[in-house]
Amino acid sequence: MSRQRKSVSILIALLIALVGILSACTKSDSGSGNSGSSGSGNSASPAHTASSASAGEEQSNEPVTLRMTVWGAPEEVAAYKVAIDKFEKKYPNITVKLQHIPTDYDTKLTTMVAGNDEPDIAQMESASIAYPLAEQGKFYNLEDFLSSDPDFNEEELVPNITYSLEPGNVIGLGPGPETFGLFYNEDIFKDAGLTPPPAKASEAWTWDEFVDVAKKLTIDAKGRNAADPAFDPKNIKQYGVNIGTWWGNYSNLIYSNGGDFVSEDGKTFALNQPAAVEAIQKLADLINVYHVAPSPVQAKNIPATNIALQTKKVAMAIDGQWSTAGLAQSKFHFNVGVLPTLKQPMTTVVSGMFSMFKSTKHPKEAWELMKALLDPDAAIDLITAGTWMPAYRSWYTDPALLAKWTENLDSRPSGYKDAVVDVLLNSSHQTPTGYVKNFNKIMDIVNPALDKVWLGQQTAQQALDSIEAKAQAQVQGRRDVKE
Amino acid sequence: MRKGLFYGLLFTSPAILGFLIFTLGPMIASLALSLTDYNVFKAHASFVGFDNYARLFSGEDDLFYKSLGITFYFVLLRVPAVIIISFVVALLLNMNVKGRAVFRTIIYLPSIVPAVASAMIWMWLLNPDLGLINSALRWLHLPTSNWLYSENSVIPSVVLTTLWGIGGTVIIFLAGLSGIPKQYYEAIEVDGGGWYSKLRHITLPMVTPTIFFNTIMAIIGSFQVFNEAYILTQGGPNNRSLFYVFYLWRTAFRDTEMGYASALAWVLFLIILFFTFIVFRTSKSWVYYEGGERA
Repeated sequence: MSRQRKSVSILIALLIALVGILSACTKSDSGSGNSGSSGSGNSASPAHTASSASAGEEQSNEPVTLRMTVWGAPEEVAAYKVAIDKFEKKYPNITVKLQHIPTDYDTKLTTMVAGNDEPDIAQMESASIAYPLAEQGKFYNLEDFLSSDPDFNEEELVPNITYSLEPGNVIGLGPGPETFGLFYNEDIFKDAGLTPPPAKASEAWTWDEFVDVAKKLTIDAKGRNAADPAFDPKNIKQYGVNIGTWWGNYSNLIYSNGGDFVSEDGKTFALNQPAAVEAIQKLADLINVYHVAPSPVQAKNIPATNIALQTKKVAMAIDGQWSTAGLAQSKFHFNVGVLPTLKQPMTTVVSGMFSMFKSTKHPKEAWELMKALLDPDAAIDLITAGTWMPAYRSWYTDPALLAKWTENLDSRPSGYKDAVVDVLLNSSHQTPTGYVKNFNKIMDIVNPALDKVWLGQQTAQQALDSIEAKAQAQVQGRRDVKE
Repeated sequence: MRKGLFYGLLFTSPAILGFLIFTLGPMIASLALSLTDYNVFKAHASFVGFDNYARLFSGEDDLFYKSLGITFYFVLLRVPAVIIISFVVALLLNMNVKGRAVFRTIIYLPSIVPAVASAMIWMWLLNPDLGLINSALRWLHLPTSNWLYSENSVIPSVVLTTLWGIGGTVIIFLAGLSGIPKQYYEAIEVDGGGWYSKLRHITLPMVTPTIFFNTIMAIIGSFQVFNEAYILTQGGPNNRSLFYVFYLWRTAFRDTEMGYASALAWVLFLIILFFTFIVFRTSKSWVYYEGGERA
């Protein structure tokens, strides 16, 4: 009897625990109140409130809590925490709750939006859900803050880190740009007696020069290079270059060749136009004609750029500047040159962004937090480590500030200022995700077709022509043209 | 008696509540949502009747048919493979040999390895250049394959990776096998029958209920394949492993079209229901229960 009673009481305890879990699942009322107020927040222009706040008027000291979600590696999160600590010291009444979502960020955020539980500020990715959310009016137009905040000069932001839904409607600001370069192992060039890639854009290699060097640096198991007629492409020990076949990498060459993803008026699918096709075909030829670059299948064996260069699996790699963080930690002589040029030097700028949800109850404070996140001083650790570049133009033009993050650092080799900094300021192109509407759906059609091109089963022209009609059906225009 | 009912309900209440709250509730909600154009990011969803279903079958969404075809192909390959291989393995593990417990543990062990970890291992094994499998084939001078990275071999490769985790099915077969009374075999021995007669006339008929159960579970599990596409292939190459549930998930959580994704989910539910029903109907002619009666 007593045993039975015991098990019943355990069961009741379990049930209570279950009820507790269930009630924790239902959201507290404050969240739904939030969503209700988002409608009214819509109509009230945040600009006035923001300008009055930043005009120096002391804010009321009522405690404010801001929620912010980010993804990223532990060191990035640590840098956010530094920025947030500084911010909280400056505004003692504001508490920032940082929520780190390392994986499945978009799924998690989508769920939060569905549950009316949005954060105040969120790191967003232009290639995925940022624009779908913005199209539904979920974000503040940051232009209102940018244009009215006397502490902030919009011109001060480096090019291509501002994301707009349409001209005049800024939905996100990148905390720093990221651009692409040609990374290489200096020792490989020295041993082969070859001149390494030039750093200055004006001296950039032509495509043929690049292919020639890549051939000489592709070595088979018997030590013959790809220029040798006896070269065995089935047993390659060292590849000349790793090109990484995602859109970020090949967009550089499309832009350099004067091509684009959609036409200038935004009405036509443009990847099957001659300029883009030529760029993609040239990359595919590196794999399938010259055998100097690994195919996507072979690339599965190639580790991250820092290890690949260090272990001499590849001699050169087209990669984002963020890879300098890893390169700096691998102790070997790496350097960076400018990408080979087709018609003109050009690199794409990609970057995450910070966006402010309309549902926030504290737009003024959220804007101040956003400014604090953009401040290069706050993120200086990430910038000197190599992961980021500063968001402010003065950090590129003022020699003293520039020296702070480009000189005497493991992450910044000798070619960096010319190949990355100058290129960003003078020959950079906005990421296609920032201006091509419906980018995701277009790429859902393009990517499978390009799989065949990288594997050498079809030419770029055949593959892209074969999907032209389907891709064209997904083209919805450009964000940078007024309709 | 009433007290018995009370305790019965009390003891099963976690399962019952769990089913009602976490399964039936969301199912009804998704049925309702499948009749709307609900998009997570849009403030309002409006009732669109059967538009989502019409769009599915209209041919406008060719990924629907593609993913459905791929999933059918996967089910067709995997279900017989799972049943035959687990049955044979169970027969072997049921033999009275030394170290039987060790073998049983080895077969079951993969089932407790997390799906992601086992997927990572398989990615290494199946790597076309460095992988153990291709290296072994090369050493034996046999033709190699691109496994997960080629359109033709990706589905069979995924089936191969899932066969590693058949331990659960094997256990159920073992339970079925150990439930066969020894006298039946002794009777065959007396009649002078060999191992084939035992297998054909005793073992097989006696485990048909287990085969029946495992077949249904394998069909349901195979139609719902997701992890492999998510971890191993991301649906590639050229959408050749875009399994139905992976496509559904992508529609719901990347494209945020919850209404349409709910319709996709219900179509799959009906498909699974249909096949389960078919297996149940045919079971009358091949599943035997003890006592000689047909079910």
